Amino acid sequence: MSKSRSSSLSAHAAALSSKSTANQSKFFKTLGEDIWKNKIEKINAELFVMTYGVIVQQLCQDLNNDYIKINENLFSMGYNIGVRLIEDFLARTALPRCPNMTMTSEVISKVAFKIFLNITPQIENWNTNRDSFSIILTENPLTEFVELPQDAMKQLWYSNIICGVLKGALEMVQLDCDVNFMTDVLRGDLTTEIKIKLNKILKDEIPLGED
Amino acid sequence: MIYSFWIFDRHCNCIFEREWTLANSNNTNAMGNGTINSKQNDEVGKLLYGMIFSLNSVTQKLSSSLSENQINNNIRSISTGKFRIHTMQTATGLWFILVTDFKQQNYSQVLQYIYSHIYVKYVVHNLLSPYDFALNPKEQRGQGIKRINNRHFINSLEAFLQPMLT
Amino acid sequence: MPHQRNSSIQNPEALERQRQYELFQESLPKVNALVYQMLLNEIIPLSSHVENQLQTIPMEEFSEDQTESQLKDLSLEEKQVSNPSSSDQLIYKLSQLADEDENEFNNTLKRVRDIGIKLGTRLTNLLVFTNNVNLNFKEMDLLLIMKFICRDVWKQIFGKQIDNLKTNHRGTFYLIDYDYALIQDFCIETNTIPSQLNEEVITSKELKLVEPFLELPVGIIKGVLLSLGYPLEEVICLATFIDKPREKIRNGFPKGISFHVQITKPNQQQ
Repeated sequence: MSKSRSSSLSAHAAALSSKSTANQSKFFKTLGEDIWKNKIEKINAELFVMTYGVIVQQLCQDLNNDYIKINENLFSMGYNIGVRLIEDFLARTALPRCPNMTMTSEVISKVAFKIFLNITPQIENWNTNRDSFSIILTENPLTEFVELPQDAMKQLWYSNIICGVLKGALEMVQLDCDVNFMTDVLRGDLTTEIKIKLNKILKDEIPLGED
Repeated sequence: MIYSFWIFDRHCNCIFEREWTLANSNNTNAMGNGTINSKQNDEVGKLLYGMIFSLNSVTQKLSSSLSENQINNNIRSISTGKFRIHTMQTATGLWFILVTDFKQQNYSQVLQYIYSHIYVKYVVHNLLSPYDFALNPKEQRGQGIKRINNRHFINSLEAFLQPMLT
Repeated sequence: MPHQRNSSIQNPEALERQRQYELFQESLPKVNALVYQMLLNEIIPLSSHVENQLQTIPMEEFSEDQTESQLKDLSLEEKQVSNPSSSDQLIYKLSQLADEDENEFNNTLKRVRDIGIKLGTRLTNLLVFTNNVNLNFKEMDLLLIMKFICRDVWKQIFGKQIDNLKTNHRGTFYLIDYDYALIQDFCIETNTIPSQLNEEVITSKELKLVEPFLELPVGIIKGVLLSLGYPLEEVICLATFIDKPREKIRNGFPKGISFHVQITKPNQQQ
């Protein structure tokens, strides 16, 4: 581990606290792009699309097209990935906990989605409390060339694994959130939208005897 | 000279401990000296965590009163007359801790490397290892006993830290 | 063992086409390879989780009292364990299932294998339609198909080629991967430190835990063969652990994998 890496990582923390929101946004964008370009081993997205398609197909077969159960299984698969993926993410970016949901949304869209899926979704639909927002996926690497059969279109959230990943990852940094699909172009909607709502900030545990 | 290495998780539990100064007691290990995950260091572990936890809480409170824009001002090292404690906390609540002499000022790269290249590789990416070492509420808040015992993790850690021991 | 490429790159035309192909590959949209690896590995705990759900459904047909008490037990358990269906717990429970309920265990393995088969057939279709100069499917005999699996299929999915291919030229093949990519970081978690444990017992437990993971590449091999004209019933594919040669022993997974492929009705072509 070179000295320059360590000093640049601690520079992140310093940089974050002093920059304005606009500069923070730019910082995250550069961070995400830099890591994606230089430090990530890549595979063809079509392989990824195809593999995920096979997994969903097998679930439909095994669970007899019970789309509610299929959604749940995709979610729990994502959850199990998310709780581990977050550590990889933090090891690579050395980012500290975000002080508010605004920064959380920036980190998710500009850094996390960028380095894992090479997309940068938009963030919209903030509520007045600033604890709920939507991620709009203008492109979705899971759904290239995917079409849903009629009955699936009403009930299946094809990319539900993403919601699970986000839920698991956020929980590991003490953010208890509801993560759900609102709309999906695969279902004939105009946009693909995931809503993240913060339920509560989980309190850090205190060793027994210290309180 | 490194005296010991500790990992604590978000449940205040010590999930790994490697100690290089105690003589071979009832907890023998392949490397010949010191102890790995030995019960006899439980008390020390709890004291160490308690101290770091309290100091860190105080620091956070001081930081927020000193400056509005502060994010996560964590403790990095604590020095006493005889040794220095180097700490690194991840956003997921893991603490990586080295207790050393004064020869080297900064161990943050070492801690970062252990996190990214040893912990992430052999605990996180290893599906045969739990990612959460407390199975139920009784094992939280510092009462858990589960440790990282997998041999790849231990061997990698030893190989990495061995050259720095003296 | 180096594999000879089909077309020797001698004429400038072929060279240029090769270059175009490589440029094209580089320009394709990409995704993080680690994410792909995690997705593939999660197939195994997911398959076990699905099997658990399929097993509990029939119970709901019994009397209400019985199901209520079962549900109550479930919820108590779930309250006590923070994530009862975490990947690691599912894998350990699956290993226990091998002894307790062979039927359920085999169902899970079959599910993993089926996913592999679908993956193998779809990947073949994908690669058949790419403009790769070195792949000429029209002239492929069984040996060339196996080489295709060893080089192209393995490289695409696992990021590396098969280390060694052996054949008796009569329909039997051994594909050997000394560092099967998806399991390299796997290592069993134990209750005490390694030096206090019986190494043989631990290694055998570890291998048993990893066995279900081998069904995925087994399925992939069968899937590729299926899409190139060899029906599933005519192909036997078994995976076993083998020792690594001395040079390869590092801190990775302690054993390599040997895939034994046998075509039961080899045609005249080879």
